Amino acid sequence: MEGQMIANAFHHSYWGFPIALYFWLVGVSAGSFVVSSLGWVFGIKKYKPTAFFASNTAIVMLMIVPVLLIIDLGKPYRFFHLLLLGSFSHWSAPMVWGSCFILTYPVAMLFYSYFVYQKNERWARILGILAVVLALCTHWYTGVVMQLNPSRVPNHTSVAPILFLTGAYVSGIGFLICCLWLRNKFLAAEKQVPIELIADMARLMLYGIVFDLFLLGNEFLQMTYGVAEEHTMLYDVLLGVFRWPYLYLEIIWGLLLPLGILAIPKINRRMGWVLAAAFMCATGVYGMRIWWVMGTFYYQGHY
Amino acid sequence: MAERVYGFDGVSPSKGKPGRKRYAMVVDLRRCTGCNACTSSCKTAFDVPLGDWRIWVAEAEFGEFPNTRRSVLPRLCNQCDEPSCVRSCPTQATFKHPDGFVLQRYNRCIGCRTCMVACPYNARHLLPEYRRNRNNPRNVADKCDFCVVRVTRGLAPICVASCTGGAMVFGDINDPQSEVARLLRESKTFNLRVELGTAPQVYYIGLTESIGDPEFAFHNRSAQLHERYNSFKRNSELGGEMAGDIIDTDMGFWGLMRHIVRNFSSFFAQVPHKFFRGLY
Repeated sequence: MEGQMIANAFHHSYWGFPIALYFWLVGVSAGSFVVSSLGWVFGIKKYKPTAFFASNTAIVMLMIVPVLLIIDLGKPYRFFHLLLLGSFSHWSAPMVWGSCFILTYPVAMLFYSYFVYQKNERWARILGILAVVLALCTHWYTGVVMQLNPSRVPNHTSVAPILFLTGAYVSGIGFLICCLWLRNKFLAAEKQVPIELIADMARLMLYGIVFDLFLLGNEFLQMTYGVAEEHTMLYDVLLGVFRWPYLYLEIIWGLLLPLGILAIPKINRRMGWVLAAAFMCATGVYGMRIWWVMGTFYYQGHY
Repeated sequence: MAERVYGFDGVSPSKGKPGRKRYAMVVDLRRCTGCNACTSSCKTAFDVPLGDWRIWVAEAEFGEFPNTRRSVLPRLCNQCDEPSCVRSCPTQATFKHPDGFVLQRYNRCIGCRTCMVACPYNARHLLPEYRRNRNNPRNVADKCDFCVVRVTRGLAPICVASCTGGAMVFGDINDPQSEVARLLRESKTFNLRVELGTAPQVYYIGLTESIGDPEFAFHNRSAQLHERYNSFKRNSELGGEMAGDIIDTDMGFWGLMRHIVRNFSSFFAQVPHKFFRGLY
């Protein structure tokens, strides 16, 4: 029977764009650090020149995160309640796990950067392994904190952390390429990161884009066959309020256009094109953070 | 006894414990007139801010003239036996009392709003910065607490006490003589969103899927709903500029940009109030 809701409550002020920005920053940090660790941890020697800069980029991006998160709390002075691990902390809450990761990850990165600067192979490798695991965990947690809410049906999927990690990988490399290009502007020719290396990083990004599209396709398929709220999500990401973040910003701007650029052999090693693709990837992933974080809050108010 | 659905392990904190209370509520929708006496008395008793509700009445209209119908559904915290808000709270600010209440400790809450994300019933809200009485808690999550202060003093919750149709019945279901136990025994009762395994302790008699089903809101998104919602957002200082402001009239690129800018500006505008409260 046709009908309409004429009165309901909208308790809407949950998490907004700042939290989406936090997810994006953690992702960029984790993605940058993965590139940094390629040389010193995984033994791909050609990436060694970028390691120190990439690790420092990751640290700087992660330094903004606690500021955003603490300001976003209703009671910022009480942020230490999250850290009272023996008494206040509730270990079934994903946010406590995330607090531990966000505290330890930058420390591990700082030590890693120090040992890379000292060219201490052994300790750089040990700290690098630790920091890579923490980088993955920190970003895994951002997916999990959304995933472990059965009430948010579209987010309640085990694809979520992988989708977040893939987005982190893509956006981190994209952001790092932009930063390296900027850095090259201020350095003498012999100290610059060669274009070949940047093009190889773009190739790594291409694999991430393909995998990201695969995951998003799966997620899209699940929405089309999904239950009530997933149908609502499908409607809103294609026709409704999240069309811009999802369809235009993420899918077209962030994934399909860079895929087109990086898949064409004639242009995928030219700096201008690679830089454009990297910029699109880095900014486009913010669209995913927006619709993934805020999408379900919108429908919940209708219920 | 009417069949009830519980969560994954289905054990209530006070179930089967002799001498313990196990409070629950039955709402008989056949008796509810949608007068909102519960809403207004609760608002008054707890100084619930504008735009937030501890209890509210969802209303829906169906059909075409002359075959029309109106459904009402008083909604409040379901005091779940398997509360997802308790599971998600990082500081144990919210907890399940053994007698059935799901309670909030304001002095522990950090205002991270994870419980609001976790709650499938939209029953939680964040208290705003500005309260009519400045001694009241601010910037922390709040919820219906089954009027624990009244109940522990032998009074019914204020929504039950003020219900004009006698639709709301509150009591101890461990006591087989209580009216709530009798209603649960003799009537077919329903819960909201049982499929999530939260084991809600607010039971409805005569709940129809047209008002109880979340999908309903999607299929019947109307211009009227959005108009009311948008006007609320425009006129309410307490509505904030958080996630919920994305509305259908702002679907384009500039709409998105506008929301990002507004959200961040209100986000940073709150900073001095949060950090230096009381200094000015």
